Amino acid sequence: MYAKLHKTIRLGVFLLFIIPLLQSCYTTRFVSTHGVPMPPETMQGQDWYRDKMYGEYTAVVKTSVLTDGMMINVPKDKCESGKLFSVEFKDTFGGNLLYLVTFGSRRKVKIKYVCMIPEM
Amino acid sequence: MAKTSELLIGKWDTLHENGVFDVKRQYITRHEPKATMPSRLMRYNDGAEEIQRLIKKCETDNEGFRAYGSRWSMSNIAHQADNMHQNNLMYLDLEIEEGDMHPDSEYEHENIFFFECGSTIKQISQKLNEYGKSLKTTGASNGQTIAGCISTGVHGSAFDTGAVQDYVVGLNIITGPNASDNVYLERHTKPGLNDAFAHGINARVIRNDELFNAALVGLGSFGFIHGVALEAEDLFLLDRYVRRIDKNLALSLSKTLDFTNSEFKIDSEVDENGRPSRPYHYKVFINPYVDENQYVIEAMYKKKYTLAYPDPFTKIEKSIYKDLIYLLIKFSEKFPKSIPWFIKSLQKSILPEITKDEEKITATLYETFFDAGYKGPAFACSMGVAIEDSERALNALVKMTKAHPIPGIFAMRYVNRTEATLGFTKFHKTCVIEIDGIQWEKSKKIPSLEEYSRFMIEAMQSENIPFTVHWGKSMDYAFPDLANHMYGNNVDRWTKCRSWLLSEKMAQIFSNDFIKTLGLEKYLNVPTDLIESLDRNGQPSNPIV
Repeated sequence: MYAKLHKTIRLGVFLLFIIPLLQSCYTTRFVSTHGVPMPPETMQGQDWYRDKMYGEYTAVVKTSVLTDGMMINVPKDKCESGKLFSVEFKDTFGGNLLYLVTFGSRRKVKIKYVCMIPEM
Repeated sequence: MAKTSELLIGKWDTLHENGVFDVKRQYITRHEPKATMPSRLMRYNDGAEEIQRLIKKCETDNEGFRAYGSRWSMSNIAHQADNMHQNNLMYLDLEIEEGDMHPDSEYEHENIFFFECGSTIKQISQKLNEYGKSLKTTGASNGQTIAGCISTGVHGSAFDTGAVQDYVVGLNIITGPNASDNVYLERHTKPGLNDAFAHGINARVIRNDELFNAALVGLGSFGFIHGVALEAEDLFLLDRYVRRIDKNLALSLSKTLDFTNSEFKIDSEVDENGRPSRPYHYKVFINPYVDENQYVIEAMYKKKYTLAYPDPFTKIEKSIYKDLIYLLIKFSEKFPKSIPWFIKSLQKSILPEITKDEEKITATLYETFFDAGYKGPAFACSMGVAIEDSERALNALVKMTKAHPIPGIFAMRYVNRTEATLGFTKFHKTCVIEIDGIQWEKSKKIPSLEEYSRFMIEAMQSENIPFTVHWGKSMDYAFPDLANHMYGNNVDRWTKCRSWLLSEKMAQIFSNDFIKTLGLEKYLNVPTDLIESLDRNGQPSNPIV
């Protein structure tokens, strides 16, 4: 009975610590000082993006010894002006773990971006 | 052709989540793209026709209509239950040529600009900077639209300047669905643009101080403000200092704004005789839960613009762990006695950092009052009093807040008198006392925001202090006879002008719960001899229509 309870508590404590780690380690956001972000049609969410229309790019990228970087073009349908207001990179524990266990051949890329409002 | 998307959203909220409000329909109008309609004037006029089409639809359906911009207001001033028009994609600017100026204008042509309603303070500032110009003042941030700012009376703390509406030269207002319902309104004593300009935007001209001043802070109820002509000034820099100063000195300055003869002196901000210079901006921060001998103050001094100044944007901002703050709020709902403790604990994060002389920040107005986006559900209550009453009013509000603690902190800012009939900065120098903080839930031990704001009004009334309230902030607007108590005869002057400018049907369409709660929706019979347009000497003028 007590052993089972202890096991449950240990599991609970483990999950309590490990889940936030898997969620995110840290977020870095590069923001324009002279741009104006595209406003959203409706406001949702409770974060910095609440008053901004944003796009997300998430992928697991396969790399090799010949890969020295990657370039992603901003999709026109999600970015009318084609100009970026902000780019956010999120480094997650899960992503780092993937990188480690695949010896660097798989990398999780998670980017959130906001485009500038088109010029009139 | 401009296109409007229609969203049947059902619910609507403000940026800072001060709702949620029911709404049938949300409209968003976008101009014809530049590539297919290069002329800005044509796109502007095309946009006006689209707005009139929407108003016509509301008239047919017997429904209300209200424009809003960036949803920054925390009161329900922007809300309308039938149709809400989000105008932040209408941000054209029209070039003002020298030939567009009125022959009697005293404005310098180089300082006059014309912006469409949905242009934000940030967009306008960027455009002005291209011409070496700046707005005269803004709010504490830059996300509000120009139409939203002037309709609610957004202000900074430039105490010799005024609020945003005070540098408006002319208003282009759509008052209904017909061709004649497009109006360009100016003061007759201070004409800015000529009739030809107004006709270029298909508007008929009205020059009348009384009408202009009423429509200026129109609470969104004088029609659809489509464009705003405003007066800018040469680009300038602000040197910003944050200091802790003696509480009595801070409050004494608050009552007089007499910096030249005060003991408050920053060594590098003195005149040729070594006497303190007069700042452009002065702000005092007050934690109501701590009896301190010193207050944190912020002072800014205006300087001539030069290219050589350090980049003010180099600071890396780290966000506070927001969930911790909300946890504390939840805790305080059960144990309000903990509020003073955690406000004190968070004080370092809430208040600006104290700067030494050499650490002053130099920046343009645009850079100083930069982006302040969403940081969680927030509230703000704001009252205006004459500066002479500022200490008494602050003491009354602090005393009340100690008895009914809520998670917020006070600040005092100062604004020059507005000419707007219902402008809340109505005193010769208004001290704006505001309490800002994080939203909380009412409990048995902590009052609701509505109750707290009622206590604010009662605190002012019990001290016999004349006051006003910021239309875009939270307040108990249902407080009996509030509008008349604050503005007296000006309420009648405002409703009379509104009744004159709008037909009875349009007055109904442009009404909402906010103005009904305040008793400002009433329609008056206006004398038929009311003179629409006057010349500079106050004589009837006959503009060519």
